[in-house]
Amino acid sequence: MTKYILRRLGASFLVLLGGSLLLYVLTINSDDPLKDLRESNADNREYLIQQRTEFMGLDQPWYVRYWDWLTGVSKCVTLNCDLGTNRNGVDVGSLLGNAASSTLRLVVLATVLAIVIGIVVGILTAIRQYSGFDYSVTFLAFLFFSLPVFWVAVLLKEFAGIQFNNWMQEPTFSPVQIIITALVLALILSAVLGGDWKRRAATAGVTLVFVASAMTYFSAVEWFRRPLLGFGFVAIVGIAAAVGSTTLFVGFKNRRVLYSTLATVAAGLVSYFAFRGVIEEPTWPVLIGLFIMSLVVGGLIGWFMGGYSRKPAAALSAFVGGTMALLTAADMAVSHWASFLSLKPRPISTIGSQTPNFSGGFWESLLDVGAQIILPTIVLTLISVASYTRYTRSSMLEVMNQDYIRTARSKGLSERVVIVKHGFRNALIPITTIVAFDFAGLIGGAVITEKVFGWKGMGELFETGLRTVDPNPVMAFFLVTGTAAILMNLLADLAYAALDPRIRR
Amino acid sequence: MKIRKMAAPFAVLMSASLVLAACGTSEEPETTETSTAANGEQDDAGTTAKVDLGEVTTKEDTIYYSLGGEEWLGYNGNTPETYSTYNSVVNERLIEGFMYFGTDGTIYQNENFGSFKLLGEDPMTVEYTINDNVTWSDGTPVAYEDYLLEWAAQKIQDGDNQLFNHVGGLDFGDRVPDGPQGEIGGKTFTIEYKDPYPDYQLQVSTAFPAHVVAEQAGMTIDELVAAIQDEDIDALKPAAEFWNEGWLSPTPGQLPDASIIPSNGPYVLTSWEAGQSLTLEANESYWGTPPATSTLVYRFVAPEAQVQALTNGDLNVIEPQATVDTVAQIEALAGSVNLISGDSLTWEHLDFNFREGNEMGENLALREAFAMCVPRQDIVDRLIKPVSPDAEIMNAREVFPFQMRYDEVVSAAYDGRYDTVNLDGAKAKLEEAGVETPFTVRIGYSQPNARRDDEVNLIKESCDQAGFNVENVGSPEFFSETLPNGDYDVALFAWAGSGQIVSGQNIYSTDAPQNYGEFSSDAVDIAWQALGSTLDTAQQLEQTKIIEKELWDQLFGIPLFAHPGITAYDATLSNVRRTATQSTVAWNAEQWVRAE
Repeated sequence: MTKYILRRLGASFLVLLGGSLLLYVLTINSDDPLKDLRESNADNREYLIQQRTEFMGLDQPWYVRYWDWLTGVSKCVTLNCDLGTNRNGVDVGSLLGNAASSTLRLVVLATVLAIVIGIVVGILTAIRQYSGFDYSVTFLAFLFFSLPVFWVAVLLKEFAGIQFNNWMQEPTFSPVQIIITALVLALILSAVLGGDWKRRAATAGVTLVFVASAMTYFSAVEWFRRPLLGFGFVAIVGIAAAVGSTTLFVGFKNRRVLYSTLATVAAGLVSYFAFRGVIEEPTWPVLIGLFIMSLVVGGLIGWFMGGYSRKPAAALSAFVGGTMALLTAADMAVSHWASFLSLKPRPISTIGSQTPNFSGGFWESLLDVGAQIILPTIVLTLISVASYTRYTRSSMLEVMNQDYIRTARSKGLSERVVIVKHGFRNALIPITTIVAFDFAGLIGGAVITEKVFGWKGMGELFETGLRTVDPNPVMAFFLVTGTAAILMNLLADLAYAALDPRIRR
Repeated sequence: MKIRKMAAPFAVLMSASLVLAACGTSEEPETTETSTAANGEQDDAGTTAKVDLGEVTTKEDTIYYSLGGEEWLGYNGNTPETYSTYNSVVNERLIEGFMYFGTDGTIYQNENFGSFKLLGEDPMTVEYTINDNVTWSDGTPVAYEDYLLEWAAQKIQDGDNQLFNHVGGLDFGDRVPDGPQGEIGGKTFTIEYKDPYPDYQLQVSTAFPAHVVAEQAGMTIDELVAAIQDEDIDALKPAAEFWNEGWLSPTPGQLPDASIIPSNGPYVLTSWEAGQSLTLEANESYWGTPPATSTLVYRFVAPEAQVQALTNGDLNVIEPQATVDTVAQIEALAGSVNLISGDSLTWEHLDFNFREGNEMGENLALREAFAMCVPRQDIVDRLIKPVSPDAEIMNAREVFPFQMRYDEVVSAAYDGRYDTVNLDGAKAKLEEAGVETPFTVRIGYSQPNARRDDEVNLIKESCDQAGFNVENVGSPEFFSETLPNGDYDVALFAWAGSGQIVSGQNIYSTDAPQNYGEFSSDAVDIAWQALGSTLDTAQQLEQTKIIEKELWDQLFGIPLFAHPGITAYDATLSNVRRTATQSTVAWNAEQWVRAE
């Protein structure tokens, strides 16, 4: 195995080296780096051309320039990388650092969301193959997949940004809005839940009434300017998470697990009050510490109450504990919305990753960053969720047609166990490969999304470098994305081998 | 002062390429809510200079503006690497000088800062006086030594290399071999030019703080001044090293220590978020009229995202690319956003090729025939007016339609004979030229550029009827290959007006570096010589008229139009004024203020 990894790494290194040479030569020949100066009629134009030629080494042959770059990069071996400067003398290393961090911030959340939503929806559509829900999701998946990114981004900025902010000044719904929203949601929900027409009608009716009354209430009290989740909300969602996860993974009948998750909810509710003072104005270490603590406490509760099924009890309780912690934090953040609005009357900006010189406290700043990241995240999620849904669906369908699923069914296992244990797990194997690839690709940034939302990420670094025929930023981009692709590729292969017993030899 | 133009032609090219992508797809925008600033001789303010606002109390408020997504490069924007419009749009808020450009490119003395006057013409001597109260934000007065250092940076050589990496090269040093004469700490100094230099007003304006350089180099001011005066290279090396490196910011987001970047302007730099924004706060120890608004935030926003950001209040002042779509978008916001459209100091033209063996260059009748069939009015009507409704054909090369002397120069130099298309005249001229028709004309320009594609199509449509066969030889290698090699008959490109009086000498004189078509005319050469050696403005104007007339009569080329530009701002702001110069709308940023 070690030999295999080393061989792969060695080959990858050579590929990377060859690729870098190719890209370098292509970049420096892609256009004229003096283009902007040639049309200039400044009287010191010749001098400027000469200075840039000297600064960028344009008078050197390509192999000398490449060699210079390579020797700089080879210092990475001693952790002393020299990626050179761009044509304005800005250190590419620090540009890369900033670009990578903002790209990661932008894409990690979107990717995680896309994976979770995509897989869940994919499984559901596979289980309900050829239902109205399946068709709707298929339709939407193809729609989202083929949307031009810049167009979605601009529309989102217009409607979820500018119009939303306008609406936020006086957040009320008109009766027509309420009726239309309720009708649409009722239709969607009845399609998703399915069943015979009676059940569908009931679903639609209940949704209609619930949504309409909720919206009327929110509108009447201007809830969106002073939102509150409150203890009741945290308790209800917590209990739902406990019951839901137990039912899904071990079955509702497993009382030990059920009680342990419910006990975790109780503990969470106690700490909801106990830690209120601490998280009123926290710091990141404190919050992360509390989150880890809630995971541990949940795990311990499960461990001691779980009895014969202490392992799943511990895992699920830890999950519920984490959920409770996030809910408490969300409740706290939401309660700061009103003070956030007073600092930033138009909450969603169309550009940038944070408001310059924002003066709020911890939660206000968090809301600020959150409000800035929400639009690009929606764009990126929409587009990649489509492919995940399709992959998961087909992979799940294939698994569900396997002989061992039929065997499982015929020995009398419940449908839940068949799907979750025998189907779902095996369906995930091919998905791992895709996820690994996707992560590698995402480091490359989302050029268009970054551009439209004014984030200086990896895509922007690459694009600017190429536009100005400036090889150093382009090569820095290549170095990171190329390495990531190779490593992730390797990881995917290893993970595949580890997950799929048929490949392990 | 070498004019902050380097990035501009590029930006213009970029914008031009985007401009026309939209043309023809959008209906003609309405002109409501559109004032036209640079198109008259003056805008609403009644003058092209800065207006005196009287007593100003700084308002606690923040104004966000952006001109592009390019990162700020450093306090020293005078190195070839950091010299760009995007950098100076910030730096000009920090360092003031003796002069500034008015909205139409007129040079004004910054009287609050100081003054300069021509003492004598032989030898040419200029006296500069800095007002007594002008100080850096750390309290040190702005004085003679700052300007001495500025001169030294463009004078002193270490062997064959320039010691300071100054974007101006050694021009200033060559023109003024002895440097500014004055005393350490003195507020007055004189500069003696070797030869008369008409553009002296641009030569000396801003200077960096010499006391910071001295301190960082471990010298006293006296030692620094002595080292400059003795041209002591070894003593100056540490100072030059700091000048070249210490004021650059190669790591975005890390502002240099406040003590080394003092300001003598209305604002100081306070914070920088890499890739996001740069914050300028009112300079508390500012000596002049306090800025109207306490905080300016320059956000790095790519042009395509600017209009929506303006709508949402994320930006308050923008200068996006002048496209039909952008104009329509902004006009849809009328009421909350004001739009100013106008010209800029960049102009488009067709130049003939006069190289040995080029028939077009050798045959005046042929050039005249071509000039008669070029649909200049049509080009302006179809391609420029949708963006800038008041645009007109440009009939001169050295003055712009919105400048004061334009009418006078044009009436002396040109009788309007090429204003409208004259196909019959063109046919007659072609016959007179005695060439076989259809005569093939290769028009070269830099691609991709949608507007120029359209221009060439319009020209082809018209001139092919007159007996030409217009061939489009536009390519991405235009400036690097087509133009230097002379593989064209007509070149289509733009020059950025520099505000200089003699910059045209580089274009129109025999064997001048930017005379790509190798045009040569004794009359023009003599007139440029005369223009370049006189300081008398009336005389300069006369020579300009001669030059323009010669260039029209011999048909050096055909001027087309000044590039349009737009500025848009939040309607609650006052004192936002568009300028045609590359100082950009931020030229009077210290006067912007939000109404109550």
